[in-house]
Amino acid sequence: MNPLLAGVMLATIWCAGALVVLYMRTKAFGVRQLHSRPAGDARAGVRYAFTQGMAPQAKESVRMNPLSYLAGMLYHTGIFAGLALLGLKLSGLGTPRVLGIVALLGATGGIALLGKRMFKAHLRGISCPDDFVSNLLATGFAALAGITCFLPSFASLWLIETIALLIYAPLGKIRHCLFFFPTRYHFGAFFGRRGVLPPTA
Amino acid sequence: MSVLDFNGTQVQLNEEGFLVEPSIWTEELAAFLALKEEGLEQLTEDHWSVIRFIRGHFLENDSAPMVRAMCKTTGVPLKRIYELFPSGPAKGACKLAGLPKPDGCV
Amino acid sequence: MSDVDELETRLEALTEADFQRGLEVFRSKLKEAEAAFLNACVHCGLCAESCHYYRMDPVLENIPAAKLETIAAVFKRHFTTMGKVAPGLVGARSMDKDMARAWVDAVFGRCSLCGRCSLNCTVGILLPRLFRAARAALGAMGLTPPDLQATVDTALKHGNNMAITREDWVETVQWIEEELQMETGDPEARLPLDKHGAKILFTVNPREPKFFPLSLQASAKVFWAAKEDWTLTADHGWDLTNYGLFNCKDEEAGLITQNLVDAMARLGCETLVIGECGHGFASARWEGEEWLKQGFPFKVMSILELMDEYLRDGRIKVDPAKHPKKVTLHDPCNLVRHGGICEAQRRVLRASAADFVEMTPNREHNFCCGGGGGQLAMGRYKARRLNSGGMKAQQIRDTAAEVVVTPCHNCVDQLGELNKEYKLKVQIKTVAEIVADALVP
Ligand code: SF4
Ligand code: SF4
Repeated sequence: MNPLLAGVMLATIWCAGALVVLYMRTKAFGVRQLHSRPAGDARAGVRYAFTQGMAPQAKESVRMNPLSYLAGMLYHTGIFAGLALLGLKLSGLGTPRVLGIVALLGATGGIALLGKRMFKAHLRGISCPDDFVSNLLATGFAALAGITCFLPSFASLWLIETIALLIYAPLGKIRHCLFFFPTRYHFGAFFGRRGVLPPTA
Repeated sequence: MSVLDFNGTQVQLNEEGFLVEPSIWTEELAAFLALKEEGLEQLTEDHWSVIRFIRGHFLENDSAPMVRAMCKTTGVPLKRIYELFPSGPAKGACKLAGLPKPDGCV
Repeated sequence: MSDVDELETRLEALTEADFQRGLEVFRSKLKEAEAAFLNACVHCGLCAESCHYYRMDPVLENIPAAKLETIAAVFKRHFTTMGKVAPGLVGARSMDKDMARAWVDAVFGRCSLCGRCSLNCTVGILLPRLFRAARAALGAMGLTPPDLQATVDTALKHGNNMAITREDWVETVQWIEEELQMETGDPEARLPLDKHGAKILFTVNPREPKFFPLSLQASAKVFWAAKEDWTLTADHGWDLTNYGLFNCKDEEAGLITQNLVDAMARLGCETLVIGECGHGFASARWEGEEWLKQGFPFKVMSILELMDEYLRDGRIKVDPAKHPKKVTLHDPCNLVRHGGICEAQRRVLRASAADFVEMTPNREHNFCCGGGGGQLAMGRYKARRLNSGGMKAQQIRDTAAEVVVTPCHNCVDQLGELNKEYKLKVQIKTVAEIVADALVP
């Protein structure tokens, strides 16, 4: 087996394993037992949190920052395209160029957000080095995934970068790929239970 | 904390405009605070009877009186108290009477 | 000595044992949800504008994520592997005097626990949960602002947060009863005290008997019109406030809640009705059972829900023509965003006032008035409180309303100060006051 592919495999196992450990550690904090009577439905709140609650019109923060939202959406779509390409590559199914274009667009989103983080003082103020490392690794991953679709000679570099990304992911803020879900769940359950979400009007 | 210049003496007020040293209170200072803190140009006899009652109650009990006691003792009707002191009995009248800020949501 | 010096003195006196105790308490307030939240922030900064503090004073420290990061930094350093191994990389910081000062500034000095940032967070982090855990930790380190703590201590000692004696309370209730009889012309109009087996135990904010009894009279008038079977209690348990929600010392909050539970048991009432108060409602309806770690054997309702029912069932009738002025509504965070009472007050107001307009934004998206989270009891942050309230002042101005109605005495108080500070020239009323004046036979 190609040593790089083996490396990606191992890094994937590490990443998944480490995320599981992180998740278990948060689970170890225990569930909060609730005694008050619900006014609404926690499950409806959770459903809302993962559906309409994520729509741009649900949040003032998105309405006020449409460009950041767009860049973020692009970025995440690009990363998922990169992951899809990785899966195809590992299964020996080739690297379709349309996915490559999506990944490249995603990388521009990542670069835009990196620029924002570097040049907007307030955003820099709430950032730590991890934010920059995480962005560079993920942006590099999407960019190289896209480039490889057009210039196959970049494949090795892409796989090396992939290994770095997978190793780093659970160590820094990319762990939000996991913690997004419980967070959103608890958000929905809290507001759902109290009868605040889904909104009445 | 802020400092008011009152006829050459420096009067210390806490963040909410209440006297830091309630003991330095005088009627002249009350009239001065009425203008500065409440925007009242002139204090009427009704104002004074409420202020003097609150002051007396404070000196005796170390606390602000109930609005019930203000009305009963001074004979000023409840609704009139709110007209006399635009910021209400707590942030208006008690402040002018030189009381420290009462606890709770006032 | 000013409050700032006082804080510095306390900070100077902190020992390693104090920091440890603070961390332990902090840790004890975290469950899996909060632990997930502490791993979830992506530092996108999109929450900035959701906070009224940031809107009115756009400095770094006012960004909700910056406040959260102050907390998270310490969490990482003490409770995560990466924070121990590579603190610089992930922005981890040890709990020490400087961090304690930063925590105090963030969670007491720049936050009303309004939760507006939660709704606007990209991920959905319930930031106030973590701010509460931090307030609890600071409390264990003796850093609760003294005037906030004094309000809680007064409630613990006297059974109400303004140290009103039983005699003064009872006398005021009797006086308001006389006033009500005069107002209604009905010599039978009552403010029942300690009526055993009454359906409803009604509770009030101590500022009503102490300084603003007209709102108590208004609530009583609505009960009178609805021929409700209700009572007040002469002993502990008449005060609905609970500043334990704000100092975040759950044991103290639980003791204050116990007053209500005991009064319900003493009088054998079915339903505990909370007068117009946001934090009081959230405390009794949502948090009290968690503090006491057991469910109540009775129902808890807001007087807003009750008035809404009266109107729906035709138990009271109102004529909106009695309120021709333009009226708007301020949504208290603890009643609406954190309390789930959203439409009742609107239905009641639409029925009772001819010209009702909404603020923008409203309901669960509403801005805090700036007086929440115990800010009204923390003198040292008054300037920030009034400044952050500029957001609310602007919202009010934009409606061009002459009357601002809000079902919360805390908000009434802050709105009163905003009225003066921003020269809004509005009247500020509770919902019951509006309803009471609109009642028709
Ligand atoms: S809870 Fe409210 S006051 Fe506190 S940070 Fe969030 S938006 Fe600001
Ligand atoms: S919006 Fe949420 S994830 Fe983004 S910086 Fe604010 S708290 Fe963090």
